[in-house]
This record gives sequence, C-alpha cells and structure tokens, in this order.
Amino acid sequence: MRTDDHSILRAILAGDKEAYGTLVARHSQSVFRVAFRVTGNEEDAEEVVQEAFLKGYQRLPGFESRSDFGTWIYRIAVNCSLDLVKARKVEADYRVADDADPKEMEVQVADTSAGPDRLLLSREIGARQKAAMKRLTPTEQAAFILRHMEDRSTEEIAATLGIAPNAAKQAVFRAVQKLRTGLAELRVNS
Amino acid sequence: MNHLSEEELIEHYYGESGRKAGIDAHLRACGTCSRAYEALSRDLAGIPQVAPPARDAAYGDQVWQSLRNSLPVYSAPASKWRRLTPLRILAFATACALILAAAFIAGRQWERRREPTLAGNTPQARERVVLFVLGDHLERSERLLVELKNADDSGTIAAPLRSEAQDLLTANRLYRASATQAGDPVLAAALDHLERALVEVANGPDDLSNADLARIQKEMNTDGLLFEVRVLRSRVQAQQQGGTTRSKGVSI
Repeated sequence: MRTDDHSILRAILAGDKEAYGTLVARHSQSVFRVAFRVTGNEEDAEEVVQEAFLKGYQRLPGFESRSDFGTWIYRIAVNCSLDLVKARKVEADYRVADDADPKEMEVQVADTSAGPDRLLLSREIGARQKAAMKRLTPTEQAAFILRHMEDRSTEEIAATLGIAPNAAKQAVFRAVQKLRTGLAELRVNS
Repeated sequence: MNHLSEEELIEHYYGESGRKAGIDAHLRACGTCSRAYEALSRDLAGIPQVAPPARDAAYGDQVWQSLRNSLPVYSAPASKWRRLTPLRILAFATACALILAAAFIAGRQWERRREPTLAGNTPQARERVVLFVLGDHLERSERLLVELKNADDSGTIAAPLRSEAQDLLTANRLYRASATQAGDPVLAAALDHLERALVEVANGPDDLSNADLARIQKEMNTDGLLFEVRVLRSRVQAQQQGGTTRSKGVSI
C-alpha cells in the first residue's frame, strides 16, 4: 500500500493519475487554510486551492524527490494567493481612487464609532485591522500572515516567498510597523 | 544602557531573537523597553488569528473531483531504446560527427605544434635541413659543370643540360641571397660565381659552337668553379656528418 508522498509521486509519474487524489486529499486542508488567510476571502481561497494543485500536478516532473511535497505545494499555494492578492489590489486601487483618500476614510470610521457601545468598538477595531492590512504590500502581507498566523520561521517565509531571509525579516518588521501605526489611534482612544 | 530597537522587540516576540536571555534580562531591568514591549505584545495579540471556514473530511475529494478531468496522464518512462526517436538519433549522430570533427581538428593542431618542435624548430634540426638541401644543390651543380667541361667533343649544349641549368639557377639565387644575409662572404661569392656560369648555360643557344663553349669555359673558369663547388660540397658534407662543427657559412 502506498502511504508516503514520494511513492505516490512515483506512481503518478508512471501513469497513475488517480494517485494524485490521495495527495490532494492529504494536503488540501492546509492549502485552503493558508490561501484563505492570505486572500481573506473564501471564494478566492477555493480558487487558489484548485490552481495550486493544478500547477503542482503540471510541475511534478520537475519536483525534486528530496523535497517535501507538503511544503512544496504550500509554497505554490502561497504564491498563487499572492498573485491573486496583487491582482485584486490592482483592481481595488482603480476603484478606491474614485472613493476617498485615507484621511477621509479615517473621518468616516470615526463617525461610525461615535457611540460607547463595546460592540461598535470591536467592529471598529476589526475594520481598522482590515484597513491596515490592506495598506501592506502583498509581500508584507504574506510575510506577516506566515509569521503571525502560520507560525513560520524567517527561513521558511523566505523559502516560501522566494526571497532572502533578511528581506523576509524586513517584510515582517515593516508589516508590524504599518499595522501598529494603523491601530495607534484606536489605542489612544480606548 | 542602550534601549532595544523595535526590530529586536518584534524578533523577541516571535521567538526568533538570537539572544533571548539577554533581552529578557534587559526587559526586566529597563522600564522604557519593558513598556514598549508590553505595547507591542498587546498590539500583536490584538491581531486575531484568522480562522478559516471549516472544511469537512470530504473536502479533499471534492477538490480532486473538480480537478481530475483537466489533468493529463503522465506516461511511464519509455525504455532507453524506445526513447530513440529519429530526431534523437539524428541529434546523436550530429553530436558524434561534431565530436569526431573536433577530435580531428584538435589532432591536426597538435601535430602541427609538435612537428616544428621535432623537425624545424630547433636550430640543430633547421641546420640539418639547410645542409641537406645545399649539399644536394652543390652536387647537382657539380654534375652540370662536369658535363659542361666534357661538352667540347659534341660542340652543342643539350637541351636537358640547359633545363637543369635553369632549374639550378632559380635555387642558386635564393641560396646566394641567403648566404649574403647570413654574413657568409665565401659561400656568397662562390654561389655568385656559379650563378654567372648557370646564367650563361641556361640562356645559351641550342647550337652552341666550340668557340662559344671555349669562351664560356674560359670566362667562367669552369675548372676553378668546379673546384670551388667541390670544396664547398665537401665542407657541407663534413658539417652534415659532424653536426655540431657547423660554420657560419651554411647558416642560411
């Protein structure tokens, strides 16, 4: 019985396409999780999962047997998510350009949290976090999510994003700084 | 006391600091850094871990079902012989031909480099060649002079003799010029003398009279010239045999 990923990969490359189903079943949860965290959207995450496994299958002949398939498909998924986020960001930039500048947005948010109700404050925090997250570059966002939510080390982040470890570390620092700056006003008010 | 930078605090928060104990000690001792670290921890802790929507156990299978029809089947690797398509055979043959051509050219180059070293590059080898060629020239010249000396009975210079004189004349000019350049006046003078006789014979008419022949022999001093050539030839032969006892005169 084939159990380890490498045996399954050999079977797939020998013509057993169905064996890939085992790998998809085995790794789809972790791929979906990271895709959702990076894209922040369920539909986008579903799209990323399919794209990642499709790309993974197409690239199987070039997959080095020394590597771990789970890590490899995870990296593909992060990069697919990143590409999607970049594409969405470009679309959003076109839309936001007609809406309002950040200053204006701050005023709008402040108006909605006028009441003392705790629920409203919590919503405002959530909104602020989302807004702050959107101000990160896609690489900073992915690096921060991998560090803060996926608990990946700097080396793992660097390998996943295909950047130098120092660049990965800096991306996390910049992300934290930007997020803190975005939340600073709330901290003072609360 | 130097305060910790925000970068150091962030690294420490995520457990990636290389000097954890030192930073912990600093945070206990420094109120400013301790407050900064608390604020950082509070901010980062406030950013929630985004929990993805739950996916049941059948999720993987659903993903697979949506993918499977769009995936091609990988063909099992063919045996080495089956992989030899005509295109590959052609490429292989071309590569072999290129390798052979390269080996041939490299061999030729190697031979060319090697040959001069063996035959012509060293001064000794070059001298042997010069002596051999000059010896041959003098021998042919001597034969011609002997025939010329004995030509008084026939009264005419035969066409082959004139042709030989023309042939020798061309070579003689080269040797004379080389001897002059090499600074050997004795050899150059002897070859010059020989050249004048060769010119007379080479340009002479077919029906050379006895009187003309006598004039040439007298003017050219054929006997003396023959002696000179014999002396030169014996000198060259001696040098050919001796090898190292070369004189300046034959370093053409």
